[in-house]
Amino acid sequence: MNRFSVVAALAALATVPVTAQFPTQPPAPTALAPVQFPPFQQATLRNGLRLILVENHQLPIVSFSLAIPAGAVNEPPAMRGLAGMTAELLTKGTTTRSAEQISQQIEGVGGSLDAGAGDDFFTLSSTVLTDHADLALGLAADVLLNATFPAEELELARRRSLSGLRIERSQPGAVAARFFNRELYGDHPYGQAPTETTVQAITREAVQQFAREHLRPQGGWLVVAGAISLNDARALAERHLGTWSGRAPARAYGRPPAPRATDILLVHRPGSQQSNILIGNLAMRPGDQQYYAATVANKILGGGTDARLFQILREERGWTYGSYSSFNRPFDVGRFQATAEVRTPVTDSALAEMLHQVRRIRTERVPDSTLESAKGFLTGVFPLTIETPQQVAGQVAVQERLGLGQDYLRRYRERIAAVTPPQLMAAARATVRPDSAVIVVVGDGAVIFEGLRAIASVRIVDVEGNSLTPDDLAPSAATDLNVDAARMHTGRDSLNVTFQGQAIGAMISETTVDEETVRYSTTLMIPMMGMNAGNAGVLQRATFRPVETTSRLAMGGGAAVEGTLRFDGMRVHGQAMGAPAGPGAPPALRDVDTTFALALYDSDQIAATLTALPLAVGTSYTFPTFGADHATISTYTARVERRESVTVPAGTFDVWRVGVAGEEASTVWITADAPHRLVRMELASQPIAFELVR
Amino acid sequence: MSRLMLAALSVSVSLAAQQPVPYEYFPLDNGLRVFLIEDHDTPVVTVNVWYNVGSRNERPGRSGFAHLFEHMMFQGSANADKGAHMQLIERAGGNMNGSTNTDRTNYYQTLPSNRLNLGLWLEADRMRSLAITPENFENQRETVKEERRLRIDNQPYARAFVDGLAMQYDSVTCYPYSHTVIGSMDDLNATTTPDVQAFFDLYYAPNNATLVVVGDFQPAEARRLIQQYFGDIPQGAEPPPVDCRQQLNQGAQRIVWPDAMANLPAVLSGFLIPGHDNADTPALSLLSTILGGGESSRLNQALVRDQQLAVQAGVFTDSRRGPGQFVVLAVANQGVTTDTLEAALMAEVARIGEEGVTEEELERAKNAFRSTDVFGRQTSMNIAERIQHYAHDHADPSEINTDADRYLSVTLDDIHRVAQRYLVPNNSLLLIVTPARQAEVQP
Repeated sequence: MNRFSVVAALAALATVPVTAQFPTQPPAPTALAPVQFPPFQQATLRNGLRLILVENHQLPIVSFSLAIPAGAVNEPPAMRGLAGMTAELLTKGTTTRSAEQISQQIEGVGGSLDAGAGDDFFTLSSTVLTDHADLALGLAADVLLNATFPAEELELARRRSLSGLRIERSQPGAVAARFFNRELYGDHPYGQAPTETTVQAITREAVQQFAREHLRPQGGWLVVAGAISLNDARALAERHLGTWSGRAPARAYGRPPAPRATDILLVHRPGSQQSNILIGNLAMRPGDQQYYAATVANKILGGGTDARLFQILREERGWTYGSYSSFNRPFDVGRFQATAEVRTPVTDSALAEMLHQVRRIRTERVPDSTLESAKGFLTGVFPLTIETPQQVAGQVAVQERLGLGQDYLRRYRERIAAVTPPQLMAAARATVRPDSAVIVVVGDGAVIFEGLRAIASVRIVDVEGNSLTPDDLAPSAATDLNVDAARMHTGRDSLNVTFQGQAIGAMISETTVDEETVRYSTTLMIPMMGMNAGNAGVLQRATFRPVETTSRLAMGGGAAVEGTLRFDGMRVHGQAMGAPAGPGAPPALRDVDTTFALALYDSDQIAATLTALPLAVGTSYTFPTFGADHATISTYTARVERRESVTVPAGTFDVWRVGVAGEEASTVWITADAPHRLVRMELASQPIAFELVR
Repeated sequence: MSRLMLAALSVSVSLAAQQPVPYEYFPLDNGLRVFLIEDHDTPVVTVNVWYNVGSRNERPGRSGFAHLFEHMMFQGSANADKGAHMQLIERAGGNMNGSTNTDRTNYYQTLPSNRLNLGLWLEADRMRSLAITPENFENQRETVKEERRLRIDNQPYARAFVDGLAMQYDSVTCYPYSHTVIGSMDDLNATTTPDVQAFFDLYYAPNNATLVVVGDFQPAEARRLIQQYFGDIPQGAEPPPVDCRQQLNQGAQRIVWPDAMANLPAVLSGFLIPGHDNADTPALSLLSTILGGGESSRLNQALVRDQQLAVQAGVFTDSRRGPGQFVVLAVANQGVTTDTLEAALMAEVARIGEEGVTEEELERAKNAFRSTDVFGRQTSMNIAERIQHYAHDHADPSEINTDADRYLSVTLDDIHRVAQRYLVPNNSLLLIVTPARQAEVQP
């Protein structure tokens, strides 16, 4: 240390109290800063569209977000999914611009243009630097007034939507949510999600009609945020949207079913390693003044990792990967829900504990320290959601759309901070009703039915919604396949992976056969998604029953998750991949130790197994499977459809075309002559194909 | 409003001076550099620490150390157990992370402003008392090895991109850039716990760090907390200077790179570019947008759409304190040979050297630059990262308020000149990636 810094250090000592040691405990929160919710301005355009402006000149950015009261609630019930499809196609071409021109123009100024549809509202948003505001609103107006909804774009969007539905059915959390909404809301539109049938029924005419009738200015909002004055924003909007006129037809939501005594809907998912539990009831309308107290109650019950549900079900009992509760707030009546994803054997214990905690928040006064820390979190975290003018505008838009009152945002933190224990308990009693609740459990009925029956009466359905009886829950026996490993092509194959015909990656598979076993390995790489997946395993040569199977998956360049299952007679044990912990998260590993009543095949080796079977037009094979990437029993049926010629990069081949139906449906092409070799495979759910290269 | 008035409106907007970022700077006696940027719009605060250490500071035999160390920083310290950092931030309603590159290592958290003290306390606790134990170290070494296997060894093209491009640097004249950030597994294996402690003492001392606080705070209170939490952390020794004497234009190199993970051939060409503080950096940056940025870029239009020779084509630039790289790359379409692809890719590069670019292309690239520049100032986190960049990579942090002008004043001649100067065979490393079976792959 030199002389000058010694002097400086002495000076510093003089200004800092000598007692100010480094604390050994995390410092306590200081007082919350008062939040002045940013002011906003309003105007109405000549066509009736309301304009809201959050003016902020700190940065030369402006964003436009148009919200129109039209959404899934306006769809004909036979065409659920129509509003979302209309939004998806809106930016795919107008009378004067191709889809490519629209994206090039907005990208050329470094901006964005997006359309979307929810249950209640249709939105169209654009963010640009202020000097491109004219272009942004011009493009928005063009797609709004002149979209052409090209037929080929509709077919692409339909395929994406169907693939999404198929994927959803394999995800127990999504299955649970679908049944839960249906139980809560019945025929009310919030209870009606799109299905394969309704998506198939959507026509181009219906899309055009939906846009023509519902995308109208009256009753809608144009929310503008950023560096623009009210006069300039209004002038721009009048110029581009002045010829737009009319009002969307009024909508009727219908009444959800009346509450009834709590019972359980068990959605039977054979072989499921986990159960997804949802408990809930209809709760509040948007303007309900109990919202604040109910929000604090929810924070304590299940609103985070320090809340009771998480702490008790996960930290204390170790039953679950996570358990939470929430209220939502749509335009019509919202719901309360508590969720958990638990290991199969503890399903009934977890459900009983969740119900206990739900009752407790209604009946037991929360300690003051708990209340204060919940309120502190809620008031403290609110500003992180309004850091940018666009985020502010998003909050204002919610306030206006839901009619929450002009002072809602300004006084939100103050109202949360004012909640008292009696108010909290009163709000919990009014909004959380365990005795007239809907309970949905998705899991293996053969294991969990008896335990659930002790809690409440149980109705049983399969994943498709067909009613089942308790007798249907026992697994059925299966016949053995007539396999012969001598029919298989062995060695190393290299395949291309294409998406809509464009090469996106590669798959390498290798098969070897010895006297006792068939060994295989497959590696799939899709660089643009940072995806690297693979599986490897050993089958008994005589029967093709699995001995061991390993599945590995890495996404987005992240760490790989790998699970290995061992098959020992009817017993399967090891680890398998389950559903991801959240969006974008890697799949979670599940411990598996189960005994089945039937012999299974390896779900990773469906196509390879087919190459060991005697094939002829019209033959079909049905076999139950289980695998390390998909730890539920899935039954597949393969049918030889025809003999044809197919050309792939490796050459032209004489092949059988085989349709494979089941959870991950596909079409495979296998050389007609033995040894049978897989030369092509197409997934039914997505425009993805695999083609033999060498 | 008439068209003319609208035109006038947009002109006045684009000429309006960018709001400068007003910052307050002070060093502590132990050498910690502190920047405070007040913004009271919302009660949110970001606490952001950069350590002036990256893989460029590593010595031969100790590659991969800086990145391994970043992992160690989440393994606990004297007053915050392993995992506590993440948990305390999450429960306060905030978010956090860290990352390592060739030139620096960063750590950050964004919090409600009444938890500024928590963010500062956690950063100070690990700066003063990181838990460097053999168990933590062994655990993280294995994690890093796994990361290398997954992110590099098992990904098509990744080894060429990471290991191959590093070969453009001479390991004698510039060891700092001639090895990768993730480093060699042999080096990681040879590392001992005392090595880790020595690295911490040298590079994680306050005099090698910069603390930035952005958001809603009272400067006097922030200064008091910073002084209390960081003020008595002992100053460390001066880290040795980084020795990179890499020259540009060292002759054309060409490497054929068999890759068992790749199914389609690819061509990558790396061109050395001068350090970030060079006057040519803005023109090179805009050129990379014109050549390879997005759907409307030259490479995408020519190779992917028109000639259909490639499934993917683009440009990646890595601007560093020492010589960086401008990498053009393309992945071949099915049935296209590497010779054909290489010729087409290099023809596009050469065309810019011969003819330059159009006024419209330059304008679009400047538009993209401006929006990225402006959109990147919207949150306290973005602003913190930006002031750190200027504090580390520029001669004077005040350039945060003037640097954009250099980009917006780039001319067609500038683009033409930098293309002719740097995008030439004599200054390039060409990597031809060919699909291969495992046995053919180089070790």
